Amino acid sequence: MKRALLLGSTLALASLLTRAAPAQEILLTGPLKGAKSVHDLRLYRKSRVEFAPTATFTLLDEYQRQIFVGARLNYNITDFLAIGAWGGFGPKPLKLNAGLVEKIQRVSSDRKRDNAARRGQGLQPNLQNRLTSLNLGPDFADQLGTVDWLVAPQVTFVPFRGKIALFQSIYIDSDLYFFAGPAIVGVTERGDCAGPDSTLNGGCSSELRMSGAVDANNDPIPIPNNFGFPTAKRVAIAPTFGLGFTFYINRWNALGFEWRAVPFARNTGGFDNHGGGPDADFPDQKVDSDDRDLKLNQMLSVSWNFYVPFDFQVSE
Amino acid sequence: MKKIGVAILAAAAVFSMPLLAFGQDDEPAADEPGADGPVAPEGDETPAPGEKGAKGEGDDAGLGGICEIDPDACPKLDFDKEAARDIREQVFAVQQLFVLRRWRFEVQPYWQVPLNDQFVGHSGPGLGLNFWITNVLAAGVSGNYYEPFNSDSDFNFQTRRSARVSVPLTEYQWNANVNFTYTPVIGKFSGFGDFIFQYDAYVVGGVGATSVRPIPVIDPDNRGFKWETNITFNAGLGLHIFFNRWLAATLEVRDYVFNDKLESTTIAANPQDTSTWRGETKLTNNVQAQLGIAIFLPFSFEYRLPK
Repeated sequence: MKRALLLGSTLALASLLTRAAPAQEILLTGPLKGAKSVHDLRLYRKSRVEFAPTATFTLLDEYQRQIFVGARLNYNITDFLAIGAWGGFGPKPLKLNAGLVEKIQRVSSDRKRDNAARRGQGLQPNLQNRLTSLNLGPDFADQLGTVDWLVAPQVTFVPFRGKIALFQSIYIDSDLYFFAGPAIVGVTERGDCAGPDSTLNGGCSSELRMSGAVDANNDPIPIPNNFGFPTAKRVAIAPTFGLGFTFYINRWNALGFEWRAVPFARNTGGFDNHGGGPDADFPDQKVDSDDRDLKLNQMLSVSWNFYVPFDFQVSE
Repeated sequence: MKKIGVAILAAAAVFSMPLLAFGQDDEPAADEPGADGPVAPEGDETPAPGEKGAKGEGDDAGLGGICEIDPDACPKLDFDKEAARDIREQVFAVQQLFVLRRWRFEVQPYWQVPLNDQFVGHSGPGLGLNFWITNVLAAGVSGNYYEPFNSDSDFNFQTRRSARVSVPLTEYQWNANVNFTYTPVIGKFSGFGDFIFQYDAYVVGGVGATSVRPIPVIDPDNRGFKWETNITFNAGLGLHIFFNRWLAATLEVRDYVFNDKLESTTIAANPQDTSTWRGETKLTNNVQAQLGIAIFLPFSFEYRLPK
């Protein structure tokens, strides 16, 4: 305690005694005196069309990471305001399963093997299998909710324009922009179903109960139906917003980095999560829109921007 | 008595060190303002030719005398035209460092959110302390405090309930690091074509320790884990966005990498045997977004305007 007091009083004394380091006013004289903050500004955007092929990487994915191939098309009305659209689609080879998918699939396959052995002995599947038959199909990856494509008409606002120096030797013009608009999103999700019947009978379960086999209590022993859960496509409308940096390489060419969010609700795992019990927080033996959870759906884009006409205007 | 002596010495040391944060050598170059004499204070400057009140304008004084003696030698300049002339002065892209950091301390409180853990949230406060050895290189320490802020996500619960698959979870207690920071990029933005603000981008990296333990999910009835400290390496990228010469907003993304001993996914015959509680060791990347402010001390510095 004494030491703490001693240290505290020492620092307090030091802070009292320490003089502020003196600063010097910047004296602007000569040709820059009274000048605007920026003049002869290269107007990279004004009255130019921007076409930018993009590669977009999803963030914080639960089961599946996606890369969208797309492009942005903007018309820059002024140097700070543009209208246009961004769009992208996620080809199947660029839908990459997360490690959790493999883990769930491994556990599910182990259970299936275990159940085959139990069936051979005239026993019911184990409890875990019965509890998950509505949620896990033969191939878990096939039931995942994915974003197939996005189209986002958007307004882009460019309030900040500047330049950066790399190692004090390479200088690049840049800008920071914000955008917002509606997004039209094509989604594939597990299709709606209801009840514990097999999917072959219009229900939700991955088990077929009409196997003919019965246990010691004369209860039918279900067998896997080996048919994946049906999926369905839908179109969702959602807001989209984000911000980005542009780094101008030359008069008509730039690199861009952009963060975007497209918040909307979707069922990423194809599970029966909600719909029953208090506040609909419990499973209800149905897979439908109640099972969707709101996700921010964040993504990062890298773009290569082209500007037409190839030359820019210069401000006063 | 001995302690008082130590205190006085420490105070003297602190007093003498951060007096001035020198941005460049004391001696100005011969062609710099101030080399030949003091710079005139603002508001007391000599009017430039062409300005109202400049000597030589009209017949009041200065050149007027020459004109009286020898009218042929009298300069015939259209001052309005001269003033409007396009001046090709060399202007550097980034004229000067807006904030000189050499020999200054940086205090950086922040709040961080994890970017890559969909199972457990590890948000929490953090603090960075840097001493800038040069204008671009700093050595410092940083730390994060997680313990009260660990949160098991809904997604994790839903996966456990729907798929009956338990994923080993880890909660964090604290993290402490020694870092070096290097600033290769500086820049400035004009906001709305009106005001200008400065920013820089830096890379940071170092080594430290993180205290973690598994959250028992496989056998919570029997298992209870103690905190364990793991060596941690970190690397990141960040931005300073300066409001003035001593205050900036900071945005940083940093990856903390350590070996995490996860909970065993199997339950031994004797579930009370603590040696069976831990399973595989996994290399874990804890990527954090850190948003905060940076305060540079001393607040001001000696600054010379380069040509």
